Amino acid sequence: MKKTLVISGSGGQGVMSAGIIIAEAAVDSGRNAVYLPEYGPQQRGGTAKCTVITDEEEIVSPLASKCDVLIALNSQSYSKFKKAVKPGGTLIVNSSMTGQTENIDGFKIINVPADDISSSLGNIKVSNIVMIGALLSSGADIIGKEEMTKTLVQKFSSKSGSADINLEALNAGINYREK
Amino acid sequence: MAKELVNGCIAIAESAVRAGCRFFAGYPITPQNHIPEYFSHRLPEVGGVFVQGESEVASINMVYGAAAGGTRAMTSSSGPGISLKAEGISYLAGTQIPAVIVNISRGGPGLGSIQPAQQDYLQATKALGHGGFKTIVFAPATLQEAVDLTYSAWDYAERDRNPVFILMDGCLGNMMETVKFPEMKEPDRNSTSKWNLYRAKDVKRSDRVLSPYFPDAILEMQNKSRNAMMKRWAENDVKVEEFMIDDAEFIAVAYGIAARSAKEAVICLRKEGYKIGLIRPITLNPFPSKSFNKLDYSKVKGFIDTELAIPAQMRIDIQAEVLGRAPIYEYCRSGGILFDDEAVYSNYKKIITEASGNGI
Repeated sequence: MKKTLVISGSGGQGVMSAGIIIAEAAVDSGRNAVYLPEYGPQQRGGTAKCTVITDEEEIVSPLASKCDVLIALNSQSYSKFKKAVKPGGTLIVNSSMTGQTENIDGFKIINVPADDISSSLGNIKVSNIVMIGALLSSGADIIGKEEMTKTLVQKFSSKSGSADINLEALNAGINYREK
Repeated sequence: MAKELVNGCIAIAESAVRAGCRFFAGYPITPQNHIPEYFSHRLPEVGGVFVQGESEVASINMVYGAAAGGTRAMTSSSGPGISLKAEGISYLAGTQIPAVIVNISRGGPGLGSIQPAQQDYLQATKALGHGGFKTIVFAPATLQEAVDLTYSAWDYAERDRNPVFILMDGCLGNMMETVKFPEMKEPDRNSTSKWNLYRAKDVKRSDRVLSPYFPDAILEMQNKSRNAMMKRWAENDVKVEEFMIDDAEFIAVAYGIAARSAKEAVICLRKEGYKIGLIRPITLNPFPSKSFNKLDYSKVKGFIDTELAIPAQMRIDIQAEVLGRAPIYEYCRSGGILFDDEAVYSNYKKIITEASGNGI
């Protein structure tokens, strides 16, 4: 089934990396995937957004108007793209940046203090992976835990030690429960 | 070989390497920078040469030189850089040197925008440079198609002794999609003897690479054979996707990324009972005339030209095929603003409803 995910945040927060990792995991597990990056001339600090579409069937158009899931890494992205989520869709929000976001009727909102979690693990750069962890336990059915773990290990095993911290971040995201 | 997730630029670059491309020269410009970046490490691995030229003009002339030495060579750029390469592309055509040129297009005119657009259609299909030459223009809509078309590009270029142009928007150039690359190919270099200056010692005088042409009669003769070549393209080399056009009353016409959104809209509208189809030119030149001329114009109520270009550019080619037999409507965006599927769908619906009064 066609699933559309939008990830947005500020340049430098790992928006594009997170999108590519999710698309890679989908492809590794035999599905089709499209990853569509959108960004301006800024390298750091500008708004960065990417769309990942996964499907067992051929993906006709990558230019989806609405998404099933939004991962918002900062407040600006949350306010800008929350309207793009389909009714019944899921919003996963980096509450370290946005503060606790309020519920919206007909949507599933998951607040994850990803920057606090990643800082406590010793590397704020893995906030994006914490958010992927939260996506895995959100019930959004975009990607499975096993395939994501496999892809992360493959991707980071050549960089010494970075597979471990990324897996820790992934599990911290999976196991996080809102109080 | 397994499927890989790559971006559009790398799809083209790796496929070029597998097609036997061993020389690339180019100058950086967004949104095509992944192409030179990839070649910079990939070409040395296969014994090829990568040069970041000091300018676009230098780069296209390096390609001219490498191709005249019998090497499969290419360059890439985006709109503003292609304009700068125009002189060199015309020289390639003038001296009948085969090479491949890629435009990962962005918003224009001028420096325009770094975001995706399809505003270089007329440049690509009508006047890539001075002197009235044309090239085959490939316009992939998926990254697999980008791979396949690039893989075959030199075969056309060398067959015709004429450059081949690939026009792909920055959206496809930067998005990632699954592709399957073909095997490495070892092109037959003996067939290059007509223009390959390395091998030209023992060939006839008439086989040399010449520019300019004196006397004028030789140049006219050349232009006549160029004209005949273009007619052969129209007969033999058209590539097109026709989607649900047999009973269609409305026909969307779109290429590249625009065609992906158009096809999605056609699928949705068909489910609601609208008789709509899609003609997607894969070769923009030669344009798919037969797809338009085989239609039953007693049934066709209109065409919807769908482009990321304002003013619409492909429209004049559609007009030349339709010849007033049905109205041509437009749904276009430009300047770096992409389509979104819902907007294409609702605009098609609006156009159909207004044109046919009752909606279906």
